[in-house]
Amino acid sequence: MKAGSVQRVVIVGGGTAGWMTAAALVKLLPHRVDVRLVESEAIGIVGVGEATLPHIRAFNERLGIREAEFMAATRATFKLGIEFNDWGAIGDSYIHPFGTFGLGGGAVDFHQYWLRLKQAGVPVPELDELSMGVQVARQARFALPSTDPTSLASTFGYAYQFDATLYAPFMRKVAEEAGAVRTEGRVVGVNQHPESGDIVSLTMESGEVIEGDLFVDCSGFVSLLLGKTLGEPFEDWSHWLPNDRAVAMPCKTATALTPLTTVTAMPAGWRWRIPLQHRTGNGYVFSTRFISEDEAAAALVAAVEGEKMADPRLLKFIAGRRRRSWVKNVVSVGLASGFLEPLESTSIYLTQIGITALIELFPEKAIADIDRDEFNRLVDLEYDRIRDFLILHYHATRRNDTPYWDYVRTMSIPESLADKLELFRKRGRVVKYREGVFLDASWIAVYLGQGVIPEGHDLRADAPPLDQVAKGMEQMKAQIRTEIAGMQGHRDYLERYCPMPAEAM
Amino acid sequence: MTEDRRISRIVVAGSGLVGLTAAAMLKRKIPGATVTLVGAAPADALSERLHATLPSIVGLHVDLGIEEAQVMMGTGAAFRLGTLFEGWNGKRPGYVHAYGEVGRTIGIAQFHQHWVRQAQKGKPAPYDSYSPAAMMARGSRFVHPQDDPNSPLSGFEYGLIVDPRGHVAMMRAFAQHVGVVERPVGIADVRLAADTGYVESLLLDDGSSIGGHLFVDCTGPAATIRSKLDDRFEDWSAWLPCDRAIFAEGPGAADPPTLDTATAHAAGWAWQCQSRASGSRGLVYSSAHLSDAEAGAMLPGTSVAFRSGRRSQPWFRNCVAIGDAAVTIDPLEWTNLHLAHSALDRLITKMPDRDWSPVELWDFNRECAAEAERARDFVALHYAAAERNEPFWRDAAAATPPDSLAHTLRLFRERGRLPLYEEETFTRHSWAAVLLGQGVMPRRVDPLIDLTPPDQSDRAMAQMREGIAAMIPNLPTQGAYMRQLSGASR
Repeated sequence: MKAGSVQRVVIVGGGTAGWMTAAALVKLLPHRVDVRLVESEAIGIVGVGEATLPHIRAFNERLGIREAEFMAATRATFKLGIEFNDWGAIGDSYIHPFGTFGLGGGAVDFHQYWLRLKQAGVPVPELDELSMGVQVARQARFALPSTDPTSLASTFGYAYQFDATLYAPFMRKVAEEAGAVRTEGRVVGVNQHPESGDIVSLTMESGEVIEGDLFVDCSGFVSLLLGKTLGEPFEDWSHWLPNDRAVAMPCKTATALTPLTTVTAMPAGWRWRIPLQHRTGNGYVFSTRFISEDEAAAALVAAVEGEKMADPRLLKFIAGRRRRSWVKNVVSVGLASGFLEPLESTSIYLTQIGITALIELFPEKAIADIDRDEFNRLVDLEYDRIRDFLILHYHATRRNDTPYWDYVRTMSIPESLADKLELFRKRGRVVKYREGVFLDASWIAVYLGQGVIPEGHDLRADAPPLDQVAKGMEQMKAQIRTEIAGMQGHRDYLERYCPMPAEAM
Repeated sequence: MTEDRRISRIVVAGSGLVGLTAAAMLKRKIPGATVTLVGAAPADALSERLHATLPSIVGLHVDLGIEEAQVMMGTGAAFRLGTLFEGWNGKRPGYVHAYGEVGRTIGIAQFHQHWVRQAQKGKPAPYDSYSPAAMMARGSRFVHPQDDPNSPLSGFEYGLIVDPRGHVAMMRAFAQHVGVVERPVGIADVRLAADTGYVESLLLDDGSSIGGHLFVDCTGPAATIRSKLDDRFEDWSAWLPCDRAIFAEGPGAADPPTLDTATAHAAGWAWQCQSRASGSRGLVYSSAHLSDAEAGAMLPGTSVAFRSGRRSQPWFRNCVAIGDAAVTIDPLEWTNLHLAHSALDRLITKMPDRDWSPVELWDFNRECAAEAERARDFVALHYAAAERNEPFWRDAAAATPPDSLAHTLRLFRERGRLPLYEEETFTRHSWAAVLLGQGVMPRRVDPLIDLTPPDQSDRAMAQMREGIAAMIPNLPTQGAYMRQLSGASR
C-alpha cells in the first residue's frame, strides 16, 4: 500500500543508467515512488561500460540480484584488474589490481619496505610479484577472495566484465518485475512550470503527456532535461583529457579468457580489450585533434585478435561534467551528467554513485536545497578525484613518439594532481582520502607502473634489519605462488559457476 | 655516496606532557635520532592541564610501548567512557556522549533514523539509553571492549582521566628510559640563519646553545620558536566564544565515576571529573560576558586565558608546532591533547628529510588543518545547538557557523543525515549523540527506513534497550574492575 506522499518519478532514457536507476528506486523505495521510464527503441544505447569496478557487487547485492544468474545472463567474466600496455613507454606492461601489495594493513605501507630495498640496491622481487591480485590475473585463474583478513587470499577483489547491451535488459527485467512501468516512444516536448522552471511533464510523439514530480535524466550525452532544457553549463575538461571519440568493434575471442581488461596505449589514444564469455569487446578511444576517424577505425581493425563480429561503430563525447548534476527537479545520472573516458572502468561506477546518492538523498515533493547541495557535493567529489587519476595515466609517461603523447606529457595538470605526484616522487606517499573510489594501492600501482619512482622512502621502513625485510619479500612471493597453484582456471570457473545459456553460444 | 639527508638531530622545546611525549615518541620511532628536550613546561597550555582525555591516548600508549597497567596502577589514572552534558538545552534532560555505537542497524537504515521516526510519533526513550557505553558510564561501570563483534560490549572505545602530575612523571621516566636527553634549562633566544630564516639554534638561559635539524615547538600558546618565523593565526573566537578557564584540583576517589560532566552556566560551562589520584573541576567562560572576579567567586582556582584558533601553518621551515603552540581550542569534548597526539603521529608518519620539501610540509599542514577544523566544528556544534536565554547563549546561537558546520547542521536538521569530511576525530555515532542529545530533531527520516515497518523497529529497539539495561547491574564498578585487574596481573 502506498501513502499519499508517493512521488511520480519519470526516468528519461532506458540504457544502463536508466534501468539501473529504475531497478534501484522500485526495489529500495517501494512505498515512496511510482517509477515510469520512457525510452525509444529508435535511439541506441551507448553501452561502452562493459568493464566495471568491485563496487557494483554491493549494488547488485542490495537489489537482491544473484551473482551467477546475473553473470550468465550478461555473458560476464570476472575482472581482477586492468592491464596497461605501452603507457609509461612502449614495451611497458603493468596491472592495476583490485587489491593490495603484500598483505596490506600495516602501520607502514608495504611498498615503503620495497622502496627501501630497491634504493639500497638489494635484489628484490618486482612489486607485482608481491600482489596476489596481479598474479591471479596474470595466470588467468579465479577463486572467490577469502574473508580471513590475515590470509593472502583476502588481498584481492573482483568486478565483472559483461555485455552492456545485455545488462540494461537484465536490469529492466528486475525493475519491471518490481513495478517500474516502461513507455515506448520519443520525447518531443519538455514542459516546464512557468514560474519555478521545474519540469512538469513530457510530451511524447504519440501525443501522450507524462507528468511527474521528479525527473531523472538518463538520456545519455544528449542530456535532454539537464543540459538541453535547463541549460546547465558543461565544464569542459578536454584540455586535460583530449580524447573525444571511440570506435568500438567486437570480435571472436582468439586467445585466453583473461580475468582482466587490457588497455593498450595507441599513437593517439588507447585501445581496450574486454573478454566476455561469448566474444571480446574492442575499441579505440582517440582524439580527433591527432587522428582522423577513418585512420582510428583502420588501426582498430588491424589490431584486434580474432574474427570481427560487427563493423566498427563510432561514439562521440567530450570529457567533463555538468556544473551541477541535480538542478530543480531534474537529477541526471550517467552520461547525462558527465563523461570520463572508461580507461579505469568508471562509467558504471559513476552511474552507481549517482543512483546511490539519489536514494540516500531522496527528496520530498518540495525539494529541499540541502538535498541538491549534498548530492552535487558527493558527485563532484567523485568526478574530481577520478579526473585526476585519469590524467595521471597520460601525464606520467616517457612516450614522445607522437604529437599526441607529446601533448599529454607536457600539458599543464590540475594543481591537486601536481601536489599528489610531487608527494609520491619525494617519498612514495599517497594523499589519503576517506572518500573517492581509488584507494592507495591503485595510485601506487599506476605511479610505479608508469615510471614515477620515489626518491626516498618512509623512514620507519628502516627499522627492521635489511636482510629480514628482503627475506620476507621472497617468502611472500613464494606464498603467493603456492596460494595460486590451488586455484581453478578462470574459464573453468565460469563454466562451472555461471555458464551462458546454450543458445547464446 | 650521497650525503645523508636524514633528520637525526631533533630538539624538542617545552618539557610539559606534550614535549615529553613528543620527545619519547620521536626517539622511539626515528631510527638513529638524538632527541634533546629543553625549556620549561608551559603553564598556560590547555592540552597539558586537562585531566580528561579521548580514546586516542590508549593507542598512543600502545604505540609507545607503555603498558596500560603501568598507567592505571602507577599514576592512579581512571577509565572514562564519556561526558554527561547538562543544562545545554533548558528544556531537555542531560545526555551522555560516549565513544561508540548507539543502537544497531535495523534493516538498511541507520539506527538513529529509527529513533527519529519513533520520536516523530511520540516520546522516545533517551537516545543514549541505546548506547551500552553511555549506560555503563551512567551506572559508573567499566569493562574493556570485548573482542567478539557480536557482543553488545564490543563497539566502543574509552579514554582516561589522568592525573597530570603523575602522568608527566611517568612520561618523563619513560622518555629518559628510551634515551631522550633532557636539559632542564629555559630558552633565552632563538637564532635563525640569516640567509634562509631556518632555525639554527636555541640560546639557553645558562648561556649555552643547542643546534639541531628539526625543532619541535611544544611551548604552548607562546610558541617560543615557531612564532619567530611567522605569526599567522586563524581566530575561531566567533564560533568558540569562551576565552578563560579556571582550574581547581580536588581529591581522588577509590571508585571514581566513568563519566565526567560538562554543565552549561550563564556564560560558558563547567566540568568535573575524577581519577583515583586526583579530582578536577573547571570553569570555562567568556570574559565579555562574565568578569574574572565573578568567575573566581564561582570557582576559586588557577585562571588561564586562551584564544581558540589555529596557527595557519603549524610546520614551517624546520620548525613544527605541536599542542597549544599549533592549535588552541575550547576544552569542551577534550580534543586538546588528542590533537597534539594526532599531530605527533602525523609528524612521525610524514617525516621528511633535510630538503624540507614544501610538498611534504604542505601535506602535514593540510591534514592538521582539516583535523583541527573538524574538531572545532564538533565543539562549536554544542554552542550553535544550545538553547538557553542568557546573553552569552543568545550571542552564541546567533553566530553564523563555519560553512562546514553549517552544511552539517542543515543536512541533519532536514533529514538526519551526516556528511563525513576528511580527518574527522569523532564518528557519526558521536555526531548523532550530540545533535540528538542537544535536541536537534531532523524534520524527516531516511526514506530507506520504509522497508522496516515501525512496529518491527519498535520491537527491535525495545529489545536493545532492555538488553543493555539488564546487563549494566552485572558489570563491575570502576573500583571493582581495577581490583580485578590488579589481582589478575599479580
